Amino acid sequence: MNDSLDNLLDTQLREETAYIDDAGFTARVMKQLPRRPFALSMQRNFIIFVATIVSVVIAYFASGEGMFVHDAFARAATLQPLQLLLIICACGTVMTVAGLWAALTRARDSIG
Amino acid sequence: MELTDADLLARVLVDGDQHAFGELVRRHQSPVRGLLRQLVRADVQLADDLAQETFIRAYKHIRSFRNEAKFSTWLYRIAYNVFRENARKRKELVGIDEERLQAEADPHTTDPALRHDLMNALANLPLHERTAVTLCCQNGLSHDEAAHVLDIPLGTVKTNVLRGREKLKKMLAGWAT
Repeated sequence: MNDSLDNLLDTQLREETAYIDDAGFTARVMKQLPRRPFALSMQRNFIIFVATIVSVVIAYFASGEGMFVHDAFARAATLQPLQLLLIICACGTVMTVAGLWAALTRARDSIG
Repeated sequence: MELTDADLLARVLVDGDQHAFGELVRRHQSPVRGLLRQLVRADVQLADDLAQETFIRAYKHIRSFRNEAKFSTWLYRIAYNVFRENARKRKELVGIDEERLQAEADPHTTDPALRHDLMNALANLPLHERTAVTLCCQNGLSHDEAAHVLDIPLGTVKTNVLRGREKLKKMLAGWAT
């Protein structure tokens, strides 16, 4: 009798854990959440942005106030139109592939 | 592919992603609300208010979660603390009303439905036994996890579960075949 009572109790206690329907509960919680703090990713982005600016400024002055840019444009001016077109197409293709890859990676990681 | 709790937690921590936290709430709301309903003895509105407070507190203190326990166990612990604080405010802290609860316990309930009887029997257990039985027998926590949630020694949890079950069995003796 004791065993049957134990089994009965176990079965009934487990059944008592029936799923409670959300019924807007999650939405109510989300409404009451405090404003999100300055996230780590934002801090990371900020640091990367500042580091990039500082690097550019250093590179600009270290390279004789950007003479390498002047030289690059001078070299580009000597290229044939077809060569320029090929370079532009190659750059566009690389950027498109990189963008697509980033978008697909994000979509794959999305919730649900 | 569904993200794990750890993935969602990482998104909340690193990106401050509130949608990821919403997904965690959606996943864990049922057991947390269920536990609180047992603790407050089926006062659904109060239980849901406490459950909301539990999740808001979890969000505010999410950085203190150390992966030493499961996320659900951590939530249960917060829920139990929220309940205790509320009970203290309502002057119903553990032990204060135990004599009344014991006196109210009626093992010969006249309700014919077994589950209804079980709910009555659970509600009439002393709080510490009700909590231990709910966590271990209903929510499936190990004794170790329940001890962590309740912040009491492992032996006390085992004793409370055993005593709670014995009392439930006495109260439900009429249903044994």
